[in-house]
Amino acid sequence: MESLITAAARALEAGDPLGALNRVALRNDAPSLALRGIAMAQLGDLAKAKALLRNAARAFGPREAVARARCVVAEAEIALVSRDLSWPVKALAAARATLQQHGDLANAAHAGHIEARRLLLVGRVDEAERTLAGLGAPPLPPASQAIRELVAAGIAIRRLKTKDARAALGRAARAARQAKIPALLAEVDSANLILDTPAARLIAGGSEHPLLLGEVERLATSTALVVDTFHHVVRRQGVAVSFGTRPVLFALARLLAQAWPADVSREMLISGAFRAKHADESHRARLRVEIGRLRTKLKPLAEISATKQGFVLAPRKTRDILVLARPVEEKHAAVLAFLADGEPWSSSALALALGTSARTVQRALDELARSNKVQSFGHGRARRWMTPPVPGFPTGLLLPTPLLRT
Amino acid sequence: MKRSAAEIVREYGPFAGVEAVHGVTYDGTHVWFASGDRLNAIDPASGKVARTIDVAAHAGTAFDGRHLFQIAEDRIQKIDAATGKVLGTIPAPGGGGDSGLAWAEGSLWVGQYRERKIHQVDPETGKVLRTIESKRFVTGVTWVDGELWHGTWEGEDSDIRRIDPDTGKVLEQLDLPAGTMVSGLESDGGDRFYCGGGDRGNVRAVRRPRRA
Repeated sequence: MESLITAAARALEAGDPLGALNRVALRNDAPSLALRGIAMAQLGDLAKAKALLRNAARAFGPREAVARARCVVAEAEIALVSRDLSWPVKALAAARATLQQHGDLANAAHAGHIEARRLLLVGRVDEAERTLAGLGAPPLPPASQAIRELVAAGIAIRRLKTKDARAALGRAARAARQAKIPALLAEVDSANLILDTPAARLIAGGSEHPLLLGEVERLATSTALVVDTFHHVVRRQGVAVSFGTRPVLFALARLLAQAWPADVSREMLISGAFRAKHADESHRARLRVEIGRLRTKLKPLAEISATKQGFVLAPRKTRDILVLARPVEEKHAAVLAFLADGEPWSSSALALALGTSARTVQRALDELARSNKVQSFGHGRARRWMTPPVPGFPTGLLLPTPLLRT
Repeated sequence: MKRSAAEIVREYGPFAGVEAVHGVTYDGTHVWFASGDRLNAIDPASGKVARTIDVAAHAGTAFDGRHLFQIAEDRIQKIDAATGKVLGTIPAPGGGGDSGLAWAEGSLWVGQYRERKIHQVDPETGKVLRTIESKRFVTGVTWVDGELWHGTWEGEDSDIRRIDPDTGKVLEQLDLPAGTMVSGLESDGGDRFYCGGGDRGNVRAVRRPRRA
């Protein structure tokens, strides 16, 4: 093996990127470029790191397939951490296959974890789970084990399986301690925080209180009629009515549910669901029509009766009605939810993650920026958005460790 | 050129606390290998680590009868084998791109990995006396019975080859199984080569072909 490369790689592994740079700063051969790239990534200069790794991948000879593949994996991880979701997924998949073929199972698994994290981030939970399961269970270094468990926990959290999430995070913490990587431990801690921070609000009988993720999960087995504003459904145990494409009807259902067992006046329904300031005769006519539609849709779950001043809900087969709402309701809650991870996002990455148009996201961001809820830096295509930074938020960058063993 | 599959006679290790083997030598009794921050001497009969010397050890290792030579970063350290003390250093000819190391005929022979070269170096001054071109990335280097052998690793393939020290022409080649790397090479003077197994963290004994 090459002497200085070995020395630099050992410095990197010992958490001394400057020591590594010192040894290879003036060299431009392929392994040196790769080492410099990883050192720059650890020092936080992701743009420089990406360029160096790309040059390294090019500089490795055509027969050095494994070294090339490792560079691609490192570049993909940097892209993920910079929330650049537009990187070529195919290149990563190809690199993963190469590593697998050549018996570098640890780095192949690392590539798989990056794929799964990306899928999880853009909300494709089933695919993320399949990717993770497809990796099998090769013996992994502690850092990789920790990442694997973090992805598993992320999937469980998205699925509202708190018990599974806690178990996975427990395993992640153990592995992170073994790996002795502070950033990894911090990431596990902040994931734990999600489980101990209110995930929702429960509104029932005119009062409301915050719910932890575990309590939201228990709600799934409740016999009450639940108006779920996360998924835009009204459900009671196995029976669910979806209002995904009918926001006005859902707004009416929610208003009625929040007031229950009391009724809601026509004026309040009109102003709440139609966003109209003064109710005139045409609004009253429209309300009659929409209530008729809602009545039809809700038939399996509840009845709607007219009262003297408005309407009242009458649930079937249960004596409880609950409304499940976001902890803080904002017009652009979904955008803020993604930015809440503390990382800089491009508007196109947000659009990709939210499944909406870049224009819509841009409008939302502009509005949020005016009220100082988000901030941006950079210009043009390099512009990134983030919420005012959370102290100590980890970058989550854990490049393939034995990257440079030639 | 004669070409055959390498016959692996025995595997030593993996060893506790050893992530990778960077260089290998033999002092007549023990097989020494470099593992980053120390040299380890193993008893070839039992396979047990008999002794260690804490010294930076990033690439090739050699033995001249009294001293161990060990590449670290961009220099070659001369170490008293009895006490483990570093007696002096000379610059490595590859400026840190150095890999294998051998001692023969009063000279040090240093492999320069990606440059595919082997340098003959004055052990007192570090002066390059001459340079042999190889066709592959050079890992370990060894001399035995007037034959120059070196390990290669390129494109995920490794072999041990004998080259003509004057022309660099390949005379004989022993192919290792795919994915098995040679990092560090030393002959025991008889019918065995010891080679480092790179990041597998082991040392292998490979049979040296008999002369007809």
